[in-house]
Amino acid sequence: MKNLVLTIIFLSSIFPILNAQEKYITKSGEINFEASVPSFEEVKATHNSVSAIIKSNGEFASLALVKGFRFKVALMEEHFNENYAESSKYPKATFKGKVMAFDITGLTTDSKEYVLIGMVNMHGVDKKIETKALIRKVGGIIFLDTQFVLKPEDFNINIPNVVSSKIAEEIRISSSFELKGKL
Amino acid sequence: MKKQVKIVIALVFVSLGLYFAYNYMYQDHRDIKAEKAVVLIPASELISYFNENNSKKVLNKTVQVSGIITEINTKNIILDDKVQCSFDSVLKNLNLNETIIVKGRCIGFDELFEVVKMDQSSIIK
Repeated sequence: MKNLVLTIIFLSSIFPILNAQEKYITKSGEINFEASVPSFEEVKATHNSVSAIIKSNGEFASLALVKGFRFKVALMEEHFNENYAESSKYPKATFKGKVMAFDITGLTTDSKEYVLIGMVNMHGVDKKIETKALIRKVGGIIFLDTQFVLKPEDFNINIPNVVSSKIAEEIRISSSFELKGKL
Repeated sequence: MKKQVKIVIALVFVSLGLYFAYNYMYQDHRDIKAEKAVVLIPASELISYFNENNSKKVLNKTVQVSGIITEINTKNIILDDKVQCSFDSVLKNLNLNETIIVKGRCIGFDELFEVVKMDQSSIIK
């Protein structure tokens, strides 16, 4: 009886170790978004300190501090932060989801296409997305690239009529992450 | 003669208007390197502004932090495991465990890794 109790205690103590997921992380992922309309000024921004984690079960989470998006035109950056993204009120943009049928041991140096499903949260609004992600593994680093399209209206972001002709209705987002292994 | 003067005056006003409009639309980005920091603190203390709901004091502001380099990446370093400073150019001549002072723009608190992030950083010392 005593042995059984000890065995249970022992098993439960090693269980977290057995259950530990392999984790790959980055704190300097990149997100680009573009909402340019032909023949008008380029509407484009880049962020290169985006955080992301992928676990061996395919769970993927990412966080971008909205103020970190950099535009070429300073005034555009100001308008983006103050009028549209309202980055003081909503400082974070996040994604939480899963790479479907992810098999970490099966990754090769050739990119393989996976389905990525999850929730984007921005401007305080959740929006489910489904997209494709290209994933490869080179020298212990997982490379994940994905592209998708978002609409400002889905996030309760109103573009005033005066400028709406200069900003695309669909915003193209592309991101790439180089995730390093971490225990 | 009078008509010509009027045209000249009109042209001066139009060009002035265009000049100011252009300068407004294409104003320069902030020069974080030249701005005076609103707080000068140890890197480990920057996080307290976010824990105490006091982030307004540092968010989007120029801050200066000092700490020990705990991680070095291509274009960013982490101080005291608590503050990530991103630079616009590739870093060199930095060593782990070195004490350093960095100035940059605070862009917020990253809950995923529990670090405060800064961009447009420059090394002070």
